[in-house]
Amino acid sequence: MLQTVIHNRIARRLVSMIGTLFGVAVFVFIMLRAIPGDQITAGLGTEAAALSPAQQEALQRYYGLDQSLFTQFFSWLGNLFTGNLGYSARAQQSVLDLTLHSLPVTIELAVLSIILALLIGIPLGMLAASRPESPRDVFGQFVSLAGLSVPAFLLATTLLSVFASSFGFNPNGQGYATLTGDPVLNLQQMLMPALVLGFGIAAPILRTTRAAVLEVRSDDFVRTARAKGVPPRRLQTKHVLGNALVPIVTMTGLQFGYLLGGAVVVEQIFSVPGIGRQVLLGIQQKEYAVVQSTVLVIALTFVIVNLLTDVLYRVIDPRVRAS
Amino acid sequence: MWHRSRSARGVLLAVGVATAASATLTGCSSPATQAPKPSAAGGTGGALVVGVTSDPDTLFPWKATQFQAVNVLQNIYGTLTEFDKDLNTVPGLATSWKTSKDGRTLTFTLRDGVTFSDGSAFDSKDVKFSLDKIKDEATAAVASASLASVTSVDAPDPKTVVLHLSAPDAALPSNLAVVNMAILSSDDTEASLNTVPDGTGPFVLKNRVPSQSLTLARNDKYWGDDRPKLDGIEFRVIPDESSIVSAMQSGNVQLAVFDDPLVARTAEAARLTVAKTPQLSYHALQLNGRRGDLGDLNVRLAVQCAIDRKQVLDTAALGEGTVTGPITAPAFKSNPDQRPCPTRDLGKAAEYLGKAGKGSGVTIKTIVSQGSYSTSVNEAQNLKAQLAEAKINLDLEVLESGAYVDRWVAGDFDAAVALNGGRPDPDGMYSRYFTSTGNLNKVTGYSSPELDKLFAAGKATTDQNERKAIYDKVSAELENNAPWIWLFTSYTYTATTSQVQGFIPMANGSLQYLRTTAVN
Amino acid sequence: MTDFPQTAQIPPGTRRSAHRLRGLFRSPSGLTGLIILGVLAIVSLSSFLDLLPYDPIAQNPPARLVPPSSEHLLGTDQFGRDIFSRVAAGVASSAMISVIAVAFSAVIGTMGGLVAGFYRGFADGVIGGVTNVLFAFPPLLLALSLASVFDRNRFTVAVAIAVVYVPIFIRVTRGPVLSLREIEYVKAARSTGQSRVMIMMRHVLPNITSIVIIQVALSLSWAVLTEASLSFLGLGTPPPSPSLGSMIFEARILVSIAPWTMIAPGVVVVLLVVGLNLLGDGLRDTLDPRNRGKR
Repeated sequence: MLQTVIHNRIARRLVSMIGTLFGVAVFVFIMLRAIPGDQITAGLGTEAAALSPAQQEALQRYYGLDQSLFTQFFSWLGNLFTGNLGYSARAQQSVLDLTLHSLPVTIELAVLSIILALLIGIPLGMLAASRPESPRDVFGQFVSLAGLSVPAFLLATTLLSVFASSFGFNPNGQGYATLTGDPVLNLQQMLMPALVLGFGIAAPILRTTRAAVLEVRSDDFVRTARAKGVPPRRLQTKHVLGNALVPIVTMTGLQFGYLLGGAVVVEQIFSVPGIGRQVLLGIQQKEYAVVQSTVLVIALTFVIVNLLTDVLYRVIDPRVRAS
Repeated sequence: MWHRSRSARGVLLAVGVATAASATLTGCSSPATQAPKPSAAGGTGGALVVGVTSDPDTLFPWKATQFQAVNVLQNIYGTLTEFDKDLNTVPGLATSWKTSKDGRTLTFTLRDGVTFSDGSAFDSKDVKFSLDKIKDEATAAVASASLASVTSVDAPDPKTVVLHLSAPDAALPSNLAVVNMAILSSDDTEASLNTVPDGTGPFVLKNRVPSQSLTLARNDKYWGDDRPKLDGIEFRVIPDESSIVSAMQSGNVQLAVFDDPLVARTAEAARLTVAKTPQLSYHALQLNGRRGDLGDLNVRLAVQCAIDRKQVLDTAALGEGTVTGPITAPAFKSNPDQRPCPTRDLGKAAEYLGKAGKGSGVTIKTIVSQGSYSTSVNEAQNLKAQLAEAKINLDLEVLESGAYVDRWVAGDFDAAVALNGGRPDPDGMYSRYFTSTGNLNKVTGYSSPELDKLFAAGKATTDQNERKAIYDKVSAELENNAPWIWLFTSYTYTATTSQVQGFIPMANGSLQYLRTTAVN
Repeated sequence: MTDFPQTAQIPPGTRRSAHRLRGLFRSPSGLTGLIILGVLAIVSLSSFLDLLPYDPIAQNPPARLVPPSSEHLLGTDQFGRDIFSRVAAGVASSAMISVIAVAFSAVIGTMGGLVAGFYRGFADGVIGGVTNVLFAFPPLLLALSLASVFDRNRFTVAVAIAVVYVPIFIRVTRGPVLSLREIEYVKAARSTGQSRVMIMMRHVLPNITSIVIIQVALSLSWAVLTEASLSFLGLGTPPPSPSLGSMIFEARILVSIAPWTMIAPGVVVVLLVVGLNLLGDGLRDTLDPRNRGKR
């Protein structure tokens, strides 16, 4: 009985995920065609006017623009199932190869940002909650407000110019180093972008932590534990934070999903060859296959991260597990 | 409470796995990205890092129009003729050329001992192959129209190539000097060259990581007298211009070319050496002679007279440039003072409008591209303000570059604010726009029997003085009929760190003198 | 798809919201937010009333990059335009874009949430599907692509941003509507034969206003940031109309030689977002039943 319920639930969830991805595919396909210009004019600019009809035709055939929209859509979709995400004429690489380069870069950046955010957000949130409306709480609120309000590009630009001009520290000016190729340089290059993004994400994490800690502390079982004489520090870390973990995990999952496409501005400023930049370049060059497949990859990652968050949430939430 | 701490570890574990996975993925799919370390050791001229905002959109020279692609490919491929630093046409893969008396055959003698980077020898077969392919419309080569006068190509022996022309074409040698006319090996195909370039230029492609970097290595078999000094050049993609300046400040990048005067000023403030080079490209207000009121010469002349070009230059481009007439190449330069209303004359403008029967004013729908170059919108604003005082209303449509190009290609505009590339030869520069058979005439919408005659005459003689006189007349004809309003030319700014020596910037923006550059 | 823990609590009380808004003045963050926004509103109002010291788009080459002085309070930019006037007009334009964007998304999103939660079934499925698709689409990239589809002006930029925020409004309203549907007096109203639209408008909508108001305040601050990011990528408000994002974008290359070009719009954009965030916090403190009495 229970088994089938669970199976049904997973099945429904999977169907809904596939539906969502299909929707994203249709949406991105249509939207790209609605943007003025195509790959020919994106490459040639106004020189495109000089093309003779025969040249125009040759180029359309070259870029696959001579096929009907219907054919374009379904041949793209069909190819996806064979692992063929399309080909980038600009990069002379398959979109799969491009993505295998750029997705890990963005995931690394997102993971580092989240780690920094958790390192800033959780302690400050607990500190703030430990004595509401005291100076430390005000300080926490101030930090979170700053994190929410300072635009990433402003912080990024300022950091870069201050460090490069005043201290001559500019790891991002060197060619991008891979994590395996040169981990030290790679981490240096990730430091500033991860700080900028992490600072922004720290705010909601700080707020969530603070609220969760306050809420949990008023719960019965904590009161009981306190009555039982559990030392306050242990109570704080184990009981309270343990329970506050649920909303924090949820929030972290949400932010991770957001970072996949949201890091584009920071990637641009710090020359981080991530997946956001891949989409941006694709849009600029009107490389339809690149944008379509990459957006779909981002959406897929987002959907999976959501699923994992959900599973994790069920695993750690005592209330959900009890039921 | 054990389960909770386990969960907490679970989170960390998941993070660890993700990082490890990203590490392996990055590792296995990325070729070595190590930049050539700038050092004197190892080679004679060290390695240079050039900062660029984007990487080439193609490696196939016949289709390259993007500035970045042209600059890279110019260092990899060779052409029959070349430009020297003053844009004179000089020998390249051809050591000499001769025009027959009737001007209908052009015979090239090819250079000895040149090889492609794949080791195969260069000879007339490759030239014939290349020129035939460029002419073939199925290739969709961007320069095919420059070969319009070529009826056939012969290769009587390995060192000689003969071009048969339908009419004399004095501009042809200069038109052959661009990388879109690169001579490819007859064994190569577009598909193979897209990934592995095979040229006769001073450098060869060593490594490319799309949207990150492109590295060239010295071609030790290069034929030129100036053997390249640099061991290697890395074109490093840094999307943000101010980040390039930061990277130059910290010494990671040694050379970059900017076209925004403000970026140049920041570079100067950062104690970099900045050289200013006047460009052949020009800013213009293009009027569409096929649209409404603009078909009337008087209306166009009213626009011509109502604009103070110096003011446009000063307000929109920080005064960084020179007011210009149509022809910008140094050898054929138009004198902007000889146009009707060399200085702004609102009285005359009103008079012309009156003659056109439009005393109450006209409205001109003007397209402006946003983002393709820095001054466009500001130029448009200033033009609008100036013309408003002459009862000419510029109705501005600011478009994203894709939309702008679509409208321009379709000729769907009354006027367009444009930055146009220039060429060393005025025929190559303007016959495509202003002769009745020009392939861009459908967009300009203006031609005349006089212009057709003048352009034909300009191609019929190779005498420099005669040609100069003819193109002065072309300039006058263009200014008197005002199909376009020529405004000004601007500069490019080459920023270098103190280690860089021997680089010569050019008026066509070419980086060909990277071959004489060295890094200490 | 995503079953985030949702708050399905119904804020009691319908028309008392107005009274409770007064509580905003008693919440320290709400009050601070209001003061900041008030000051910015006065400054930007002067741009509508033509009270600015200079025309924000008029170029004045001789006065290029003048540092702050008595003549130009915040200095001038590379075209000799007065930065104070531009910032004032920029606040107005940023505020206008985000207000239009959020108004759009609030109206459409709330309607969507109402219909989905109230009618359930097919409508819920469709709306839920669309919401999932929009959520899975990377938000900034979505706005970016949409902004390149249309001829760009303030309105189309606002619409591009609105699309990004519609699903959020759908999601925050649907849950509460679901629970409200089962509440006694709504059931009672249904049994008296009132039309569904009537019930939605009369009994359900007023009960979710608090949630919507809080979300509006928070979304406004995000919308300001999104607009600024779009401008920064060159896809926001087209020049020369000043926008805080594009001012920062242009100033970025000047920051080492003329830092004032960056500082003023930078500080103001932060202030604007801080103000909106504080207002949102204040509203949440006053309106959200979960928070009331807790602080």
